[in-house]
Parts: sequence; C-alpha cells; structure tokens
Amino acid sequence: MTAFRALLRAEAAVLRRDRASLVFTFLFPLLFILIFGAMMSSVGSTESTRLGVVVLDGADRDVLDRVFAGSVAEIRHLASRAELEAAIDRRDVDFGAIWDGVTLGFAFDVRRTQDNFVFDELADGLAAQMDLALQGRSPLLASTVRIAGGEPDASWLTLVVPGILAFSVLSAGLFAIAGHLTSMKQRRLLDRFVVTPMRPTTLLAAIVVVRLVVVAVSTLMTLAVATTLFRIRYDVSWVRYVAFLISATLGTMGMGAVFTLLVRQPSSAGNLANIVSILMMFTSGIYFPVEIMPPFLRGLSRAMPLTYMADAMRYATGVMDMQDSDFWLICGAFLLLGLALLPGLARYIVRPLRR
Amino acid sequence: MAVRSIARAYIITSLRERITLFWFLAFPLLLLVLLTFVFGNVGNSVRTSFDVTLVNFDDGRDARAAAALAGAMATLAATEDGTAPLFVLHLPPVDADRSAFLVSELNELRVGRRAVVVEIPLGLSASVDAAARGAASATLAVEIHKSGGRTGSDMAASIVEHVVAGVDRSLLVQYGLFDESRTLRVERLELGAGARTFRYVDFLLPGILLMGFFTGGLFGVPGTLLFGRERRILRGYWVTPLDVPHYLAGFALGHLGLCAIQFACVWGVARFALGADVPLWRPLVLAALLFAAMTFLAIGFLVAAVARTANGGMALANVVNMPMMFLGGLFFPIGQLPGALRAVMLANPVTYLADLLRGLTGTAAPVLPVAASVGVPLAWIVVCALVAARRLQWDVSR
Amino acid sequence: MHRPSLLRVDHLVKHYGDVLAVDDISFSVPTGEVFTLLGPNGAGKTTTLEILEGLREADAGEIEAFGRRVRRIDRVTKERMGVLLQEGNFEPYLRVKEVLRLFASFFRAPRSPDDVLREIALEEKANALVKTLSGGQRQRLAIGVALINDPELVFLDEPTTGLDPQARRNIWSVVAGLTASGKTVILTTHYMEEAEALSQTVSIMDHGKMIAQGAPRELTARLGQETIVEFAAGDSAGEAEQALTTCCRAVRLDGGVISIETDDLVATMRRLLDWSRETGVPLAEMAVRQPNLEDVFLALTGRRLRD
Repeated sequence: MTAFRALLRAEAAVLRRDRASLVFTFLFPLLFILIFGAMMSSVGSTESTRLGVVVLDGADRDVLDRVFAGSVAEIRHLASRAELEAAIDRRDVDFGAIWDGVTLGFAFDVRRTQDNFVFDELADGLAAQMDLALQGRSPLLASTVRIAGGEPDASWLTLVVPGILAFSVLSAGLFAIAGHLTSMKQRRLLDRFVVTPMRPTTLLAAIVVVRLVVVAVSTLMTLAVATTLFRIRYDVSWVRYVAFLISATLGTMGMGAVFTLLVRQPSSAGNLANIVSILMMFTSGIYFPVEIMPPFLRGLSRAMPLTYMADAMRYATGVMDMQDSDFWLICGAFLLLGLALLPGLARYIVRPLRR
Repeated sequence: MAVRSIARAYIITSLRERITLFWFLAFPLLLLVLLTFVFGNVGNSVRTSFDVTLVNFDDGRDARAAAALAGAMATLAATEDGTAPLFVLHLPPVDADRSAFLVSELNELRVGRRAVVVEIPLGLSASVDAAARGAASATLAVEIHKSGGRTGSDMAASIVEHVVAGVDRSLLVQYGLFDESRTLRVERLELGAGARTFRYVDFLLPGILLMGFFTGGLFGVPGTLLFGRERRILRGYWVTPLDVPHYLAGFALGHLGLCAIQFACVWGVARFALGADVPLWRPLVLAALLFAAMTFLAIGFLVAAVARTANGGMALANVVNMPMMFLGGLFFPIGQLPGALRAVMLANPVTYLADLLRGLTGTAAPVLPVAASVGVPLAWIVVCALVAARRLQWDVSR
Repeated sequence: MHRPSLLRVDHLVKHYGDVLAVDDISFSVPTGEVFTLLGPNGAGKTTTLEILEGLREADAGEIEAFGRRVRRIDRVTKERMGVLLQEGNFEPYLRVKEVLRLFASFFRAPRSPDDVLREIALEEKANALVKTLSGGQRQRLAIGVALINDPELVFLDEPTTGLDPQARRNIWSVVAGLTASGKTVILTTHYMEEAEALSQTVSIMDHGKMIAQGAPRELTARLGQETIVEFAAGDSAGEAEQALTTCCRAVRLDGGVISIETDDLVATMRRLLDWSRETGVPLAEMAVRQPNLEDVFLALTGRRLRD
C-alpha cells in the first residue's frame, strides 16, 4: 500500500506542477463555456432580432403594425428602400420588410448565412399572419407546444454544458494514457520503475485515482460556473453523476490504451489521441446537434463514444431524459472497456521501448 | 542561397511530418468540409426522418378539422421513390385504449424514442366549426408534445406547427372565409452579394483560411524554433557561417511558402468540391492574406520568445489559441459581448484581419474602419518583432 | 619539428553564475595534428569547445584563429572550420542528401554533397529520412556535415560516445584519414584509449583547469619508468595492501584491485610470489602493464576518469 500512496503523491505532484495540463483540465472547459455562453446568448435568436420596416405611401400601415407588434425585439421604421438596404448593410437591423399594400417584401443580407434561417422562419410566420389579417381573419386551428415531463425548454447552452463536461472527461482519461503514460515511457521513467519491485498495476491505480479526482473537481467547477453565471438549472442525480465519472474515466483510459498499444512510437499515441478527440468533438453532437447533420455524419456520430458520453452526462445532470437502463448500459460498457484493457496497459509498462 | 535552402528545408520537413501535415492541411480541410456539410444544410429540407406519434381523440364522423390534420400527417409519412419518409408515424392500434397509448408514447418521447407526439383532443373539430361560424374563437388546440433537450424534437415540433398552419389555411378556404385569389404576395430580396448566389461555404472560406494561417503561425513557428533549439538543430547552423538574420529570412520565406500551399489547397477544395465562389485572386485580397500570414508569423515569434522550453511554448500556444480564434469572429458572428470578452475581441488581431478579408472579398460588410483593420495587426507585428528581437534565444542556455 | 598553430587560446575563462567552468586555460593546437581534450564529465571540455566553435563567448582570455585575433569566433573563421556537435541532431524529416545540401548552402565554397556522401559511405542512404538512420549512420552523416566545407580545422566533440565498438573504430579511421589529408583536429573524449590511439597532443582537464599537456607517451613517461602490476585480492584486499606496503613502493587499493608501481619488475614479482605462497592469497587476474593516461589522471587527481 505504501508504493501506491507514494505513486499517488508523485502523480498528483506531477500534475500540480505541470501548469500546461492544469490549464487544459481546469481552465479549458470554463473558457469554452464563458465564450460560448456569452456569444450564443446574443446570436440568431428572436429575442434580439431587430427588424427594419418600410411602409410605402398609400399602404395600410395599421394591419402591419398590429401583426408585427411584439414579434421581434425591436422594430425600426425607415423612410425608403435605400435607407433599409443601408441599415441592413451596417447591421443596424438584422433584416427588413417592405410593404406597399399589395406585396410584402422581406430583405435579407445573404452574407449572414448563419442567422438567416432564423430570420426566414420569422418572416414566414409574419407573412402568414399578415395574409390572414388582411382578410380580417385569425387562425381557426391552433396548436400549442408542450414539453413532455414538464421540464423547462432546454436552451442550446444548457445542452452544451454537459457536452463540454463529457468532453473534458474524455480528454482527461484519454491523455492520462496516450500522453502522460506514453511520455513516461519515452523518457524512460517507466524503465526506472520497472527495475524496482513495483507492480505496474499499482502505478495504473494511482493514475486512475488522480485522474478521477481531477475529473470530479473540474466538472464540478464548470457546472458551478455555468449555474451561477448563466443561471442554468441542473437537476443532478449524484449517484449517476459519480457512476458516470468513474466508468467514463476508466473507459476513456481504455481508449487511450487502445491508441497506445496500436502505435509504434509512444509520442504517436498522444498525437493520435489528439486528432481523434478533435474529430469526436465535432461529430458527437457537442456543439451542434446530430440531427442537422447529413446522414453519413449522423451514422458516424452513432459510432463515436463521445456521443453516448454526452447523452449520459445530459441525463445525469437532468437536462435530457433517457431510459434509465440505457444509462447504466453505457456506464457498464465504458467500465468494461477500461477494465479489459488494464492488463494490456500493465504489460505496456513493463515492455522495453522499441527502437 | 542559404536563405533559399533554409526556406526549402522548412517547407519540405513540414510537409513530410505527418502530424504537422494533419494540422496544417488536413485539419483546415476537414473543418471546411464538415462545417459546410453541417451548416450548409440548415434551413434547407433536412433529409432525415422523425418518429412521430399521432393520437386522434377526435375521430367522429363530422370531425372535419381532425380528419384534415390526420390526412396531412399521413401524407408526410408516405414514402415516395423508396427514400425514407419525413415522418415515421406511430398510431394507436385499433381498439386500443387511446389514453393509455398516449401515456406510454409520452414516455417514449421523454427517453428519446419519439421526436414528437401529436394529440388531437376530442371536440377539436367542433370547436373549429364554432369558430368558423363566428360564434367564438376556437377553444381547443392541437397539442404538440416535444421533449426538452433534444434538437430533433424541436425540429419535428416546428414541422408539425407548419402542417397545422397549412391545414388551418385550407379549412379557412373550405369554410369560405378566405379568398385564395387575394392571397398576399410575398417577395424575398437578397442583398449583399451582388448578382451571385451566396452560400454558407462562401462565408466560411475566409474564416478557414485565416484559421489555417493562424494555427500555422501560432504552433508552427514556436514548434520549429523551440524544438530546433532543444534538439540542437539550430546549434548545427550556428557553427557554420549562417547568421541569425539570414536564417530568419529563410524561415519567414519558408513559412509564407507553406501558407501559400495551404491557401491553394483550401481554396481548391472549397472552389471545386464545395462550389465556393469567393473572389480571392485579387491583388488587394492576396495582399490582405499576406498581411495576415505575416501577423501570425510575428505572433508565433512572440510565443517562441516568451517560452523557455519547447513544451512550454506549445502549451502557451494552446492556451492563447482558443480565445483568439473564437473571439475573432472566424466562425460565429460576434454579437454583443460583455466587457472583458469584448476587450479581448478588440485587442485580437484576428478580429481585424477577419473583418478586412471579409470586407475585401464581399463576404460580409466590414464593421470596423480600415485604418483599424490595418493598424491593429501592424501594431502587433511591431510589438512582437521588438519582443522577439530582445528576448528570443537562439541556442540552448545552461 | 615545429609547425605553426591554427588555433591558440590564452587565459580563457568562463563562468556559469558562480560556477567556474573554464578556469584560465591556455593551449595551442599544432597544424595537422589531433589535439585531444581529455577529462571526466563536467571538466569543462565541452564549454571550452563551445567557445572555440563560436557557440559561446568567453568571459576573459584571447583566441587566435587562423592567425587572426578574435573576441568571438566569427563567420570568416567558421568558413574554415567544421564541427561535429555532441548531440548534433538533424531535422528528422529531411533526407540525408538534403541535409548535406542544406549545410553546403551555408558555405561560400562547399564540396559536392555527392563526394561527401561517398566519403562517409552513406550513398545507399542518400534518400533515406534522417529519422530512419541508425546511430552509427547518423554519426557518419554528422561527420559528413562537419566536412562539407573541406575545413582546415575540425572539432569533434565526443564523437564516439554511445556508439558500439564497430562504429567507434569506423570513426577512429575517419579521424586518422583527416590528419592524413592535412587537417587539424580538436577532439574531446573521456575514453583514454581513444585519446591515446588518436592524438598527437593530449590536454588533460579537471574542474575547469588544464592539469597536464603533452604527447600521450610523454605524459605517461612523466610517471617515471615504472611498470604496473595488478591483481584482484578479493576479501583479503585490506590486509594484502598492508602487508605489501612493507615490501613494495606505491601500492594502491582500488575496488578490490591491488596495483603496484615498480621500476624493478623482476624483484617485485619475486616478492609477490613469495608473499602469495606464505599467506595463501592467490594472485587472481594478475596483469603486468605499462602506465596509461588513466594512471596519469589518477596520479594527478587521485580519481579515475570514469567513475
């Protein structure tokens, strides 16, 4: 047990002194959330849209005012079409409407490709209401949207935060092996250990424990920041949260082990892990939903472990529902992957460096 | 001669190292293709299918509105030409208890096995009839249940809303309340791109180009210099007549050469594989790209000068990479950012270079004055050069 | 025979903070010879060499290179010298020929890379990436780079450290070839047999100081005309040392090995054999040899070159 404690202390000290990896594990998720939180809260949403309106002479202004009222954050009346175009170009308004009494024209800046689908949707709705209003009608058949289970509608950011947490678990586990352990191998530190009676599993256990603590602290910090700064409510199921952290950390360490055992050079494992984690970040529905991807990318995302990690994390933090048995199935799969690869890793520690 | 051979060596070693090649060429291309595929589709009809449950409690003989809606939903669930339908419709079995079915389907919705559950309440059609006769406005509405936290559910719910609106319009016409011949004429005006059609990839391309230059300068420069120093590669040069100014000139030339290669590849893929149409081959645009490459080269030198070890340099580059890239409006338009982040954005040369390049290529209206777009990156170049000249060490120290 | 010197150093001093790495050393390197700086790790050899290669500047002292007095080794000087660095590394993703071409481009009058390639016997590896070369091949490439400008003065900083015996002998023959073609070589090493085999002049350094200088023969001869008798005494080494001090001069015990210096080998041998018969201590692994540079270093410092 003393070897374990000493290794634990050494592992913790190495991590504490390695400022670069400290920044990665603790600051990165926070930074991501700060930037995305600040940025996304103001982009492409109806709440902040400004609409420029031009009513040409002789057109019925009242109908338009009645229909448009309250549909966007701000309506700015402009005198002419030229003025409207200038305002759109300067981004004083997001899009515009021109009403001449017969035709309702909507003007968009085509260069704002990312925002325009929101504006298009808004314009469609306004046109349909205007169409009815002009004949003095209101809809007969209405619809109301409810959220099953009664939770509040989860915003984009609410969903992104657990995704980022899942990603930071992934990188902590992955790089603990393909990065940390491989660099120890490369620098012949493992050789120094191997000539002593130390058991390789003791070293692995120390690495697992240190990473677990790191993952727990960093995810909780991130969650706390998101909760306080952006007033996102999370209803965390702590049993599942802890179960997920343990199994996912072990599982991603297992993934790191796969990379490590596959490549010849220890340094290549880190590079490979880096590339794979970036790929996963973009294809696992962390930042943009899987549903808007073309079919082949949707298929790819189903093959990405991070997709399931993000879903499980969303479930554990109470922002997305799933079958409880599915959650435990995911945890079990990760746990199994991690445990299955431990013997391979132990052999890797002992194996002499290939030249 | 020495300058040219240093430049050549820099370029070929970078192209031969698989990991550099990945970050330098494969990654920008991958991002370009991925983002184009993902966001290029937004707003267009998405080729996907949703599991939708329809529970109709209002299926009496005179239930005109309910029948119309159920019919419209069924149309979307029909397969044409063998492709997957938009809706995979789940209906209660005949003679089943519809309330119990609804409860179980709502549970399926919660755990993500249904995108949306549509409930037509009993008496909906009667209430629509009453409203049509002018007795009162309709008291009942179609209930669309979606699940919180799932984008697919949001999308399906919004499609169902459109279906309901369409059915509403045809009902109004059937009741003689709406004159279709007097339908409002709606026009769509597209501003900002002249005569050409504008696509997401056009917006993306300048950003990807700048990102490529940026990561190349930020990681490539300190990586080559610091690892070269640590592995005693530079030392091997200093014992020859080669001096620092000549090495620097060769290095800068090599870096710009790499940027040119990267530019050509990214442009080629964007143009010929993704159909981008951005006027990049104009003198002013090319000058702006060169200016950007030089700014990032200078920033790379700053990182190399500040870091003591190669690993430290890489870590530093990693730390500044993300805020500079994301707070420079490369991929997302910058909205109203709060104080500190806004300050970072305004000090960030990427912001100015992106604005400059988008303005010159007509891919976005510039929002910053040209003087600032040139002046701020220029100031960065000067500051970086000064710091590098004072602090950069060219050989291992003891 | 007295030949002019290509390189002269007077009262060279170099500090690293409080540590005095090079402590007032002076020497001159005769043209056409192999001049060796011998000493243990940390003796200041590499620092001295780094100053002479132009990697560092001395705190004090004078350097005269190719008849010019310089404060620091400059470009003009570098045109005429070639350097093999201790951890001389090359870009792993350059090919052998490209490395040679690259370095050739730094000099005004380089040799053809093909000639150099032939000379270092790496022709079949001309298109191999540096990272695929073996240790010996890499070292040959490093030597080729050092010779690309056909230098008059060649620096070899521990050229054989970490190489296997075969590769080491290859390097030795390269060095012999260099002097045969009239080049002057400055070598550092901590292998005394290398210094003995290769150099005309050896300079022994310790703690930043030059403690002896001369031809290897000269240096060993200074110990006197003694012969050294050594044997392993095992457990009884302590009492053996005591017993033998009474009969022989200069008995030393080092790691269980007794060594006796003597100028009358016959008498000493006879006494030893008598002692062995009386005490029953066998004279295991007995050897009789001439003193070498290791013994010189031992005599001067009381320590061995390699511990």
